[in-house]
Order: sequence, then C-alpha cells, then structure tokens
Amino acid sequence: MSAVRAESETRKTVVEALWRNNPIFKQVLGICSTLAVTNLVLNTIVMCVALTFTLSLSAATVSILRKLTPRNIRMMVETLIIAFYVIIVDVVLKAYWPDMSTNLGPYVGLIITNCIVMGRCEAYGNTNPPVPAFLDGFFNALGYSFVLLIIATLRELLGMGTLLGYPMPYFSGPYWDRWIMMVMPPGAFFMLAVLTWVLRSIQLAREEKSK
Amino acid sequence: MHQKRWFSVVYMFLVTAFFSSIVIGFAQFTSKTVQVNEKLAFEKAVLTVLPGLYSDEASRLELHRTFIERVTEPDDLSAGAYTLRENGKIVAYALPMSGQGFWAPIKGVIGIKADKKTTTAIAFYEQNETPGLGAEITKPAFKSQFEGKVISGSDKPLSIIRPSEELGSSEVHAIAGATQTSVRLEKIINTALSNWQSQVDIKGAEE
Repeated sequence: MSAVRAESETRKTVVEALWRNNPIFKQVLGICSTLAVTNLVLNTIVMCVALTFTLSLSAATVSILRKLTPRNIRMMVETLIIAFYVIIVDVVLKAYWPDMSTNLGPYVGLIITNCIVMGRCEAYGNTNPPVPAFLDGFFNALGYSFVLLIIATLRELLGMGTLLGYPMPYFSGPYWDRWIMMVMPPGAFFMLAVLTWVLRSIQLAREEKSK
Repeated sequence: MHQKRWFSVVYMFLVTAFFSSIVIGFAQFTSKTVQVNEKLAFEKAVLTVLPGLYSDEASRLELHRTFIERVTEPDDLSAGAYTLRENGKIVAYALPMSGQGFWAPIKGVIGIKADKKTTTAIAFYEQNETPGLGAEITKPAFKSQFEGKVISGSDKPLSIIRPSEELGSSEVHAIAGATQTSVRLEKIINTALSNWQSQVDIKGAEE
C-alpha cells in the first residue's frame, strides 16, 4: 500500500516539477541565470549540472536537519547550506576548469540567490523526509535545465550557427545570416518570452481539453 | 528544548562551524591548483599585450613555456614592468596594474612600446564588474582602443571619456552605463602609468 503511494507521490513530484509547475515557465523563478548563461550550450550544461547538484543536495540536507532546526532561524540555516554547496561547485570549477569558471563569471556564486533553490527548500525540503526532498530538488532542477537547454540550443544555433562549438550544416553555411542578436543579452529575453508563450499555450490547451 | 533562546544561537554556531570547516578544508585542498591557474591567467595577460607572443591555439602549457622563454621578469631597467627583449634590447614593456574596481579588484596588464610613450594593448586577468556593463572592459571592442594611444605627460596619462565625445590621441571611450567602472579603471591605469613613467625616466636619465 505504502509503496504504491510512494510511487504515485514521486510521479506527482516529477509531473509538477517538469511540467505543471515548472520553475521557469510557470513559476518564473531563477530568470537571472536563465537569461545570463544561455548564450552557449556548453555554459548552460555546466550551469544546469551545478544547479542540479546544489538544489537536490541542499533540499536533502535541509530535510535531514528539519526536526532539529528552530523555526525562527531556519532561513539562515537554509542559506548557509545552499552557500556551502555552491562554494564547493565554485571551488571545483576554479581549480579544475578555470576557463569555464571565467565564462560563467559570477553566476555560479549567484546560484545561492536563485529563488528556485530557496523556494524548494522552504516549500518542500522543510516539511518532507530526505529522499522525497532530494527527488523534488532533483526534478525541479531538471525542469529548470530542460527549458534552459532549449533556449541555449536555439540561441547558439541561430546566433552562431554552431552547437557546443561545432559548426552545424546549413546554419554555419553561407545561406544562413547569423542572428548575432540571439547570443547577445536581448536574444535571451526574446527567446525566453517566446518559449514561455508556447509552453503555456500548450498547457492551457490541455487544461481546456481535460475539462 | 527547542523553545530555549540559547538553543538557536548554539545551533546556528555549530551548523556554521561544521559547514565552514568542510569548505575551508576543501578550499585548502585545491588552493595550489587555483594558484597555478591564477598565475597562468596572469602570464597569458602579459603575453597578449606583448607583440607577437600570443596565439589563440596555443595550449596553457605552451603559453607558459613562451612566457618562461621570452619574457624577462621586472628588473631595474624596466621599473616593475615585464619586458620583451631582443638581443638584450627592450622591445616592449608589459606593465601590471591593479586596484579597486566597482565590485572587486581589477587586475590587468598594459602593453607599452619601447619608446615608453605609446600603448600597444591592454588585458585583464581578474575582474568582477557587472556583467554586460562594467565587465565589457574585457571585450575586444573596449580593449582594442588601447592600441597606439599616446601616454601624455600631464597628470592624467590616459583618459577614459564619454562615448559621445571626440577622441584625442590619449583618450579612449568609456562603456556607456558603466561610469563607476570607467572612473576606477582610469585611476588604476593612470596610477600605474604615472608611477612607472617617473621611475623609468629617472633610470633612463642616469644612463
């Protein structure tokens, strides 16, 4: 009985995080990094991995300490835990991948203030056991990542004619006039807006249907 | 027990101590590698401002070798600048500079020709300015302005002026929207240049 329940719970978490309550296009959280790091697919992948690591582990850690942490200082403790994981990511990048560290600049450090992380710790990690909290964090990070990757793929392809730095047929050729705008900051706004529009329209259409 | 006020304080203290000690230990463990990376970034900056030494394709190791083989460390003649020499004669200077930027220190290198009056290039190896505004100082559009500028004898060797104003021979355009970065960078560059010029000139007069 409880196994079945746990399975449906997890299923619910996945659907909520990836689609119904997606942190980017539904809750519109964590937009700062979405706009900033999506000009190249490689940067985006590293950012997504960093966020996934931070979000799932800090949600789990917050959950482990949830019965011990006094309510009045829980936000301080959460911030501390998030900062802890972010600094680890930052140090690892600085030591072993300095080029990527310069590419991402301050945005790795800014994961600390990414509303998704704090939001999940507060909304879920705080009141649920560690394993579901970990899964909730993990799938929310995936929800963030897949939207970012779509944006980054389109931006790099349209703006530079490459993917992961490799020239793509047609887009890197003479027939494609590169939209430099796409890899510049305004491109991120346009792309995010269009994508939010499309995904929400699909969502709305489905809701209408199910009524 | 959870209601006691001291518990919150002690708890926060313990949690902080626990997580910080792990982070500190970890940072210690990687500090050597980070230092090497920083040194390489500096060497790369020096190579980019000296003529003909930097290549985009060169690996980090190759760049390090070029630096060791070709670049002379600062000595009495160069007054704190790294130099490129051919047959013992100084061909170009690479003057390190650093100072407070808008958010964090800006560190860079400025290249100067053998005449000690003309700049060749500028490079930054550490900065944390606002992305899209102040951080544009690391972009070619801004850096390329430093090619062939004349270091004037006045108390402001180089000036960073508003993008709308016309450029003189010792002036470069600021980045629109990054006034704070520009003002601070101007100060950093000028402090380094004034100091260097006064020292290097004295050395020249003694010869």
